[in-house]
Amino acid sequence: MIEEDPEAHELAALRAVWRPPAACRVLEIGAGDGRLTRHYAREVASVIAIDPDADAIADLRREFPQIDARAIGVEELSLPDRSVDVVLFAWSL
Amino acid sequence: MPEEGMVDALRLARRLLPPGGFVLDLHPTASSVAVEVGGCVTGFVDLGDGLRRHAAAAHALARSIATQLLTLERTLTFDFFTYGGSVDELRDYIAENWREARIPDAVVERTRDAVRDAPRIKPRVREHVQVTRLSSANLSRLMSADGSRRD
Repeated sequence: MIEEDPEAHELAALRAVWRPPAACRVLEIGAGDGRLTRHYAREVASVIAIDPDADAIADLRREFPQIDARAIGVEELSLPDRSVDVVLFAWSL
Repeated sequence: MPEEGMVDALRLARRLLPPGGFVLDLHPTASSVAVEVGGCVTGFVDLGDGLRRHAAAAHALARSIATQLLTLERTLTFDFFTYGGSVDELRDYIAENWREARIPDAVVERTRDAVRDAPRIKPRVREHVQVTRLSSANLSRLMSADGSRRD
């Protein structure tokens, strides 16, 4: 069985640079099936998660129906200015 | 995504953020990805154009800082390990899930031999990843003429 980052180094690094306040609105670009998303989604006010992989986004939606999960690339994203507090590029640049 | 597309994505991110908002970026560094058994390197993943893409991401971030689109707050690096039950599983996973990357046959063979000598140890690949926090605040706008901070 494949195991990704069982040592949780990624989460530790993310936590070292970001402790999300409860009112935080997050846009995650390249969310995939939510490997990173699941670590913070319950702590913040809202999450918009995008990824061009429709299957991965469907998995994410099933796990987190409250998330605004969109199967699109960043070039297709349309949001108002100043509408999120954090933009997270999840291995997507 | 080409470098210009990365810069465009950072510009979009900046537009979506209020003052005090920030960008978090995680991406692998432009360094080799080792295949290991118990900490011993058996070879390296052939990343295809991966190194070029990772270097382009770093360059796009540097451009966003140099042009004062974003302000660097903090950066750190960490190792991200992916373990397989066998090297064949790891090889197949990478071929299927990593863009253009593959574990070369010679490395698969060496890793098989290493696992044979240490059957309780799972083979793994080690990626070096950088996490960066960038603020939407443009520092030059926060500084007074004499260089003192205005906030």
